[in-house]
Amino acid sequence: MILSEDRLQDLLDKSLAELPPGTEWAVALEGSIAEGFGNPSSDIDFLLVGRFDDDPPTMPSLLFVDGRRVEIRTRSLRQLADQLRAVEEGAERPGRLSEDLLNRCQRVLHSHPLRGHALVEEVKAMLPVARFRRIAADWWAHRARQSLRHATALLCLGESDEAVDWTRAALVQSVKSWAAGLGETYLEPKWLSMQLDRAGRVDIRDRYWALEAAALQPAGTHTGTGTHTGTGTDAGTDAAQALLTACLDFAEDLGLTDVPRRPERLTVRRAAGVTTWQTGERVHVVRGGREVFALGPDAGAVWRSLVLGRPLPRVLAEAAGTGVTEPGALLAVFLRYGLIRLAWKGGGPVTPSLPLAAPPGPVTPPPSTAQPLLSVRGAAVGGPRAVDLMPVPADRFAAAAMALVWSNVVVENAVEDLTGALQRGQWRVAELTARRAVHAALRALFSAHGVNPLPADSDLVRRMDLLPPATRPIGVRAGELLRCGVDCVKDGDALLGELRFFIDLVRGAVGADSFPLSFDSADTWRATLRLGHDWLRIGAHLGAELPIEEARDLLAGNGAQPHQAL
Amino acid sequence: MSDPITSDPMTVLVTGASGFVGAEVTARLGAAGHTVLALVHRNGDLVRNNGRRLTAGRGTLIRITGDITRPGLGLSDDDRRLAATADRIVHCAAVTDFGLPKDRYERVNVEGVRHVLALASAGRTPLVHVSTAYVCGERDGIAREDELDLGQRPGNDYEKSKLAAETLVRKAAADGLPVTVVRPSIVTGAARTGRIRDLKTIYPVLRVLTRGLVRTVPGHHDAVLDLVPVDRVADLVTAAATRFQDAEGRTLHAVGHELTLRDMSDVLAEYPSFHVPRFVPPSAFSAEALPGRERPYYDRVVSLYDPYFRRRVRFDATHAEAFGHRPAPSGGRPYLRRLLDHCLATGYLGPSPPKKPAAARPDGSTHR
Repeated sequence: MILSEDRLQDLLDKSLAELPPGTEWAVALEGSIAEGFGNPSSDIDFLLVGRFDDDPPTMPSLLFVDGRRVEIRTRSLRQLADQLRAVEEGAERPGRLSEDLLNRCQRVLHSHPLRGHALVEEVKAMLPVARFRRIAADWWAHRARQSLRHATALLCLGESDEAVDWTRAALVQSVKSWAAGLGETYLEPKWLSMQLDRAGRVDIRDRYWALEAAALQPAGTHTGTGTHTGTGTDAGTDAAQALLTACLDFAEDLGLTDVPRRPERLTVRRAAGVTTWQTGERVHVVRGGREVFALGPDAGAVWRSLVLGRPLPRVLAEAAGTGVTEPGALLAVFLRYGLIRLAWKGGGPVTPSLPLAAPPGPVTPPPSTAQPLLSVRGAAVGGPRAVDLMPVPADRFAAAAMALVWSNVVVENAVEDLTGALQRGQWRVAELTARRAVHAALRALFSAHGVNPLPADSDLVRRMDLLPPATRPIGVRAGELLRCGVDCVKDGDALLGELRFFIDLVRGAVGADSFPLSFDSADTWRATLRLGHDWLRIGAHLGAELPIEEARDLLAGNGAQPHQAL
Repeated sequence: MSDPITSDPMTVLVTGASGFVGAEVTARLGAAGHTVLALVHRNGDLVRNNGRRLTAGRGTLIRITGDITRPGLGLSDDDRRLAATADRIVHCAAVTDFGLPKDRYERVNVEGVRHVLALASAGRTPLVHVSTAYVCGERDGIAREDELDLGQRPGNDYEKSKLAAETLVRKAAADGLPVTVVRPSIVTGAARTGRIRDLKTIYPVLRVLTRGLVRTVPGHHDAVLDLVPVDRVADLVTAAATRFQDAEGRTLHAVGHELTLRDMSDVLAEYPSFHVPRFVPPSAFSAEALPGRERPYYDRVVSLYDPYFRRRVRFDATHAEAFGHRPAPSGGRPYLRRLLDHCLATGYLGPSPPKKPAAARPDGSTHR
């Protein structure tokens, strides 16, 4: 140890002097210094153990004694017994064994008694050292396997650099597992070099550092080319594969079992709560019932080629069969975003985690900034390979899309009504139907930008400030139209002309796709209704609100209209 | 439900022993140590749902060839003498495909029952008749086990024939024949694995829909399909035969997992490669309005199932439960996932739709 017994006792005396008097503690030094590592900057970690019923506070006290940071933890005998028992009981499922729990047990088992030796030894006797070595070795082995499987998957997908990083993680985890089996169970990888020196196997140590050096080649060295489909077609991929193979060999030589030699054993699995909904040609993927991803055409084609339960190489080959270049990169995005997951045949889900880190979990990208966000045919996307996260919750997204479809129908219907009213000289009716058309067009405009719920009709013009500045002229024109009166044929014709111009303005702002002419023909009407039903399907799945009861009737009636034959 | 092994060894005549349900019933009776007279229409291996050859187990398996559309089941003299020794008759044989000519249902499902009843009545042999829960016809609400002819309109010629057949069975019971009727709903893959030997019933419909060959279907989101695992049906039929004294005079619903079209839609959406059909109200659906490429698939496969997409019927199973047939343990959605996963694993479902309809003959077929 870097500190003498006398020095430790002195530090302990000074530390205890700062604590409330009255309790009889057994004391042990734990942590890096107790393990035989450490340096002048290392903390002094004292564990105080008491034989009493009440649990002491779990938060450590931080003291500064003689220029050193001293951390004092207090635990009852019962608490420590519970921790050691929990580790023993969880040993069969290393994937579920918490790192913190393992770390706590490791520290106490390898602690150096300073006071009340008998009580400290009583604690240590609760879990034999040999048993703990096995548990720690299995825990690291589990993590190494997961990392190696993940690296294998990434390499298969052509993500060479990422595969190298996970190979490196597996390298550390494999050698930590081996070292733990020899008694070097301290979890913190920071002291790995000293652990390897102490383990006394120069060959293993040198081989580890050689592989570590190979893994640390500059980024990009391992990157695949644009034509890569998982078959190893360039130097970067070959180098990454070579590194992975060398690490697999090393891990196997260290005694790691179930080493992932064959990527065929990786299968693509369903991620809970992920569903696929297509409207028109646009593929939308809903994650956890809360977030919507809109896929560009290439991403959509690769997504649609996915057959769950199949081996990853086969899935990749089928994705390549879509004609989309670099399908592996898209599959890697799906994996990263948690839209799919991987499992190892006979080995459960692949849940990689870096050394001493929790599994990273699904990534959430920044939300899409596309405007307008929506058309009746689906969400806007940033490009063919886009996997864009919608900036609104899934149920709001679906509700906005349904409101858009419905507004589209109402505009066309109101224009028809206006034309009829003008023919009959029904000026007041004409005024009202024109206003109805203006409001519906504004609702479409708001919905296309993802606004939901919508402002009240009377407030739509004022709430144009919610939309991008480019739409302001539409608001001005809408205000004028809403104030228009009709008293004669001339006024009526002018109003109709103005209204059509206004609708064209809205179309120009949101794109014709967002606002097709439903009443052009029976075919376009049916097409609009089909899209309406597509949105109803996703809306029903998400429990989204339908625009209004009338829309429900129309869509539920499949467009059967009393006065118009389809 | 008590173990059928505990009952005394019997001789049981099983019609349709090579069929989807019949083979499983035969296997269970054999495993329980009974002698099974397995009536089959044609020679060939008896295969279980798991694809393995059917064996006699602890019992005895005697194959006899016959034809239920003929009087005396078309049995030879020797086989007729053998059949007369039966302690029970389990009538599983039926034509279950949809879209066949009307007279085919009449001959197999109605005349066939008439001939089986004649055989049973001759020796007053207790009969377990396998019917269908869908004798309830086109109706909404709760269908009960003690209901039969309420003036309902059958959903198709198959249902009509099964209603007529069960009516004949009821009449024979009234005349003194000991009878139990078991009514399965839509018989599908094994409960635990989803494994299926015969890709009939709802399977061709699922294939056409998930491949996007038909994208618009007339149906209600709250219409209910009841899918029952084949092993569950076989268990109940076997128990009815072996514990006949407890089942006599009863009609038992062999039902499983209720699944609304909304459930189906949501589960299909969990599979990236699957298309999810849009269900539109039947009153406004027009097959003529379907895109040209969809029409043949609709006419030949999906339309045969139309009644099942509009019925909001649920099957009460009070008698079956009192008999010991416990309700299915898990919900409809997990079970549907098992069925779909199995079909994906075998390649029956998945992408790569054919360029045009492959079969001129309807391959859509349904429940018992």
